[in-house]
Amino acid sequence: MRNVGIIGVGYTPVFVSKRRDVNIAEMISEAVDAAFRNTGLGPEDIDAMVFGNMQTFEGLNLPHLWASEHIRALGKPIMRIATGGTTGMSALHAGYYHVASGLHDVVMVITYEKQSEGDSQVGLAGIITPEIMTMLSLGIDLTGGTGMGGLGGGSAGGVSFQANSYLNRSGATIEHIDKMAALERRNAALNPYAHLKDPDATPEKIAQTPLIAYPIRFGHVCPTTDGATVAILACEKKAAKLADKVAWINGLANCASDATTGNLIEGLITDPGEQRPCMIAAKKAYEMAGIEDPQKEIDMAEIYNGFAHQCLMFMDRLFLCGEREAHVLLDKGELEITGRIPVNPSGGVVSTNAIGTSALNRVTECALQIMDKIEGGHKVQKDVHNAVAHGWGGLMQYVTVTVLGDKPRKR
Amino acid sequence: MEELRETYITPVVPLDFTYNYRVGQYMERFLNSLKDKKLMGVKCPECGKVFVPPRMFCGSCNQKLDEWVEVAQTGMLANFTVGHVVLEKGARLAKAESPYVLGLIKLDDVDSLLLARVEKVAPADLKKGMRMKAVWKEELAGDYSDLDHFEPA
Amino acid sequence: MENKVAIVGVNLDSALDIEKSRERLIFDLVRGLMDDLGIEPTDVDTTIFATNDFLVGRTISNVFEDSPAGVYMRDESKVEMDATNAVMYGTMRILSGNYQTALIVSQGLCGHQVSPYLHISYSLNPIYDRQLGLLNELSAAAFQARDFLTKYGFGDDLMHAIAANSLANAALNPRQARQLPDISPQQVSESPYYYEPLRELHCYPPTDGGCAILLASAERAKELTDKPVWILGLGSSMDTYYIVERDLTVAPSATKAAKRAYEMAGISDPAREICFAEIAALFAHQEPILAEALGLMEASDAAEKYQSGETAIDGKLPINPSGGALGGHPIPATGGFRVAEATLQLRGEAGKNQVKDPKRAVVLGQDGICAQQNSVLVLGI
Ligand SMILES: [Zn+2]
Repeated sequence: MRNVGIIGVGYTPVFVSKRRDVNIAEMISEAVDAAFRNTGLGPEDIDAMVFGNMQTFEGLNLPHLWASEHIRALGKPIMRIATGGTTGMSALHAGYYHVASGLHDVVMVITYEKQSEGDSQVGLAGIITPEIMTMLSLGIDLTGGTGMGGLGGGSAGGVSFQANSYLNRSGATIEHIDKMAALERRNAALNPYAHLKDPDATPEKIAQTPLIAYPIRFGHVCPTTDGATVAILACEKKAAKLADKVAWINGLANCASDATTGNLIEGLITDPGEQRPCMIAAKKAYEMAGIEDPQKEIDMAEIYNGFAHQCLMFMDRLFLCGEREAHVLLDKGELEITGRIPVNPSGGVVSTNAIGTSALNRVTECALQIMDKIEGGHKVQKDVHNAVAHGWGGLMQYVTVTVLGDKPRKR
Repeated sequence: MEELRETYITPVVPLDFTYNYRVGQYMERFLNSLKDKKLMGVKCPECGKVFVPPRMFCGSCNQKLDEWVEVAQTGMLANFTVGHVVLEKGARLAKAESPYVLGLIKLDDVDSLLLARVEKVAPADLKKGMRMKAVWKEELAGDYSDLDHFEPA
Repeated sequence: MENKVAIVGVNLDSALDIEKSRERLIFDLVRGLMDDLGIEPTDVDTTIFATNDFLVGRTISNVFEDSPAGVYMRDESKVEMDATNAVMYGTMRILSGNYQTALIVSQGLCGHQVSPYLHISYSLNPIYDRQLGLLNELSAAAFQARDFLTKYGFGDDLMHAIAANSLANAALNPRQARQLPDISPQQVSESPYYYEPLRELHCYPPTDGGCAILLASAERAKELTDKPVWILGLGSSMDTYYIVERDLTVAPSATKAAKRAYEMAGISDPAREICFAEIAALFAHQEPILAEALGLMEASDAAEKYQSGETAIDGKLPINPSGGALGGHPIPATGGFRVAEATLQLRGEAGKNQVKDPKRAVVLGQDGICAQQNSVLVLGI
């Protein structure tokens, strides 16, 4: 198998709630330009492209077609990938296979979301449109106390079941979620590409934000963001020629469980915090990367957390700590940028969520840490040799994992 | 045993999707100029082509476009079709009330074609290469409908 | 690319109005394919969906397709494009050495539940073309048709002949949705206009359908079938979105895609080396334009080729012996149908549509307005 590395990253200059000054295609072009600027490459160096976002958010089908000129894709093979919240990482994985297959040497992965142009809650509810329709036609009231309206994919209603389940199994408390959210908002304040920043965030401040559905508070929830992210991938030979530093994609995997309505309800009632697909994918990715003891060998993690509790929940699902340990590490300060296992130094999805980019940003942030190319103050204190990036989405049942390293695997 | 036929239901979707598409600075200038009955385009510094409506990039040259030009409102009919159908809400195909003409207009000094309704000419008299001119609405609103149609010049 | 990835099994189903839910359709297709091959979901290393959220009517449409496709606690991804691209992605995954088998699943119910024209309408420039409301898939195709006919001095009768060729083939094929037995160019010419010169029977029909295709590495293919069909080459490319700047009578991105695929397959003279073509031409006039891009004919010879029967099932170079997309266009499974039909041909299992002893085929799938984006596969035995 060919080794594949990330040789460059490009972001839009800012990730904010409303980019009023540019249209969708123009906004994406900024990240493409940035990737070219950061690597010194041009469109002629790119063999193929992968493009991803969640199209129902903007109500724009196959946006890569209209954006063809803005993303400099004319005459190039381009593949569109969309898997919901994980889209960014699924697109990265597709980019990886473009290169690993031997068919292409240098591939650009482009993701974006301009959430200000659509309605995100409608977009999310759209996951279960047929179910909502069925319920309505059967006379089930979705607005009242049945709680059925809360079933929508990433909506706070559905996720509150998960958070409760996690607190119950781990022994963590709502105060730990407050603490995690505060940590990430502080990290975000150091990151020029983060959206919700608060250098003075404290658990107490987060605890004062309104409760949405116990234990989810307003302060635990991701914003909706406009932004685009680009990553350039290359084979070993090209990487040596084109880049001074490379973050190698040493392991990757994904896993889906079931989402049909009956099981979904069962899942929510039983254990939406179980997240078995995450464990399956993580095991596979570590094995591929030759990581035997993630707790020892992984130096930092970027975890997809639309909601603050998920960072803690997925830590043990990624085998970065024991099952009842994540909040203990949090209390000890080990998850901080200065800590032993920094988690989401970027500020995480809780601070910045342009959905199509969110899972890719987990990877690019790990890559920039490994390449020592972090702009801003969120560079972790320790050397990063191996890092794990995680994506979560689908209907709370789909997980992607990428393990990155400063050296390629030996074959 | 009787063969199962799967039943489906077709409820009306009560969700109302609202989008707010930012037009960006290029299209904003184009829209603003419509108020003054002007057609604005951008010129590529590399290939010299003029694009109307304007946009940020010339894809084949990989050039950012920023030279603005006001273009002529006359040109020739490069292509045409007579429509007998329309796409209604939900892109459902329906018969048009009466046939209508769409044209691709090659404006003088512009390299892209402009898609517009064509009026005051019978379908049988349509010919590629006919001279055409822009006709504006009487009351301008600063939106795309200001440029009402093209007709023989 | 010498015999590295094989198509080991295909299953497809379509109708103008299928009496199945999407989930049931996928289950039947995948279960049927697995029963044919005598395998279970655990034998599938990865699944690549090709579906479109707009047409399915739900965000992240793949999540509800996982279970009926046998993906439970397993690996999957989704290509939101024509299914030929999912076949390419599956091929890449196998070529990487990380997977031995890849299942491609694609479906679209655009016959009755959703208007197929929604697909392109919602992909138009949202700040201009969509607001103007003049451009749609059909009006664009009409401009393309007129440009094509004018360029070579052809009359509308060529469009009728091309459509009749496809529709007659489709009528022989039980896997096609549109069944018009005894169709003649005359009947095509009597169908109503959509946008002149484009008539109803020059266009694809709104179609429900889906397909499942299993790919395998050379080693695994030997265990699964004694009739492997090899993926010999692949390529894809994209033109500009702006049809007002394109010469619609040519398809440079299809030419580029084909060049790459032929190079991989070691084909230098496609018109001689390719035995037949399955081309997702959504409108009659697109068939010669795309066939020319694939190096199979000169578009200027189209009248002669179609009228002499050269493109018929028993002709010198059959084009769309299955009936092509005029027989059915279950977006975005259409390219998958072309791959599946070509596979059946190469295995000698195409029934009444069977071409005589084919060895190599070229397949084209398209996305976007006037075939903006094209993907080409070369298959062989
Ligand atoms: Zn230019």
